[in-house]
Amino acid sequence: MNLFNISCKKATYLLSKKEENKLSWLEKITLHGHLAMCSLCRKFEQQTGFIILNVKHAHEHTVLSVEAKEKMQRVLKD
Amino acid sequence: MTSSSLNPDQWINNYADALYSYTLHRVNDAALAEDIVQETFLSAWKARDSYKGEASEKSWLYTICKNKIIDYYRKKAKDIVQPMSQRDSSDNYFDETEHWTTENKPGDWGIDYQQSIDNKEFHKVLDGCKKKLQQIQQAVFEMKYLEDLDAAEICKALGITSSNYWVLIHRAKLKLRTCLEKNWINLK
Repeated sequence: MNLFNISCKKATYLLSKKEENKLSWLEKITLHGHLAMCSLCRKFEQQTGFIILNVKHAHEHTVLSVEAKEKMQRVLKD
Repeated sequence: MTSSSLNPDQWINNYADALYSYTLHRVNDAALAEDIVQETFLSAWKARDSYKGEASEKSWLYTICKNKIIDYYRKKAKDIVQPMSQRDSSDNYFDETEHWTTENKPGDWGIDYQQSIDNKEFHKVLDGCKKKLQQIQQAVFEMKYLEDLDAAEICKALGITSSNYWVLIHRAKLKLRTCLEKNWINLK
């Protein structure tokens, strides 16, 4: 049943394709089967999901200096 | 004045800080972020006659800014002639049978993976890890997850093939995950 066996490298690669719904039916089956058996790849999926969530979660509000704003004001006036 | 007309005199007061925060989060460089915001206002000013009022002034400015950021990613990716086949020597995530190496396999983080974290220290580490990615990996990762572009749009903007794209995303995730585990989880 080699056709249905994929490696961890392949499984983690397919996870990104899964996010964009780009998996073929065979890839879907093999990935699903792999994840059912492999707790490390399941962890990889959860942890990368966590990273993405937190990369998106924009943090502090940063403020421009007064000088920078004055400079912009001048450029716009020209 | 209707709500969908422009008010350029107030642009800097109303939007400079917000656009700056938005840009800085994406380009990680204060001087560059400042330039991008300035160019955004300048382009907006030049294009003011073409503003149709279909979008609010605010989202119109964000669209211009976002395009400038994508231009920046595009340039950044182009600057690097990418040796696609060349691996960094530290990239040993998988052994010769393509299973996780003991060294780099995902460990237990003991956290709730659905949570967003506000902790400053955490975001510092995460930014640091992002900076360690190759330029093109960074560009691909940010276009995908910060700008929400899809594979086709990113490939087109960066002039890469879709198989390159999937490899880059894969690599970026592997690196970020390992980096975060080493520098944040293990020090928590």
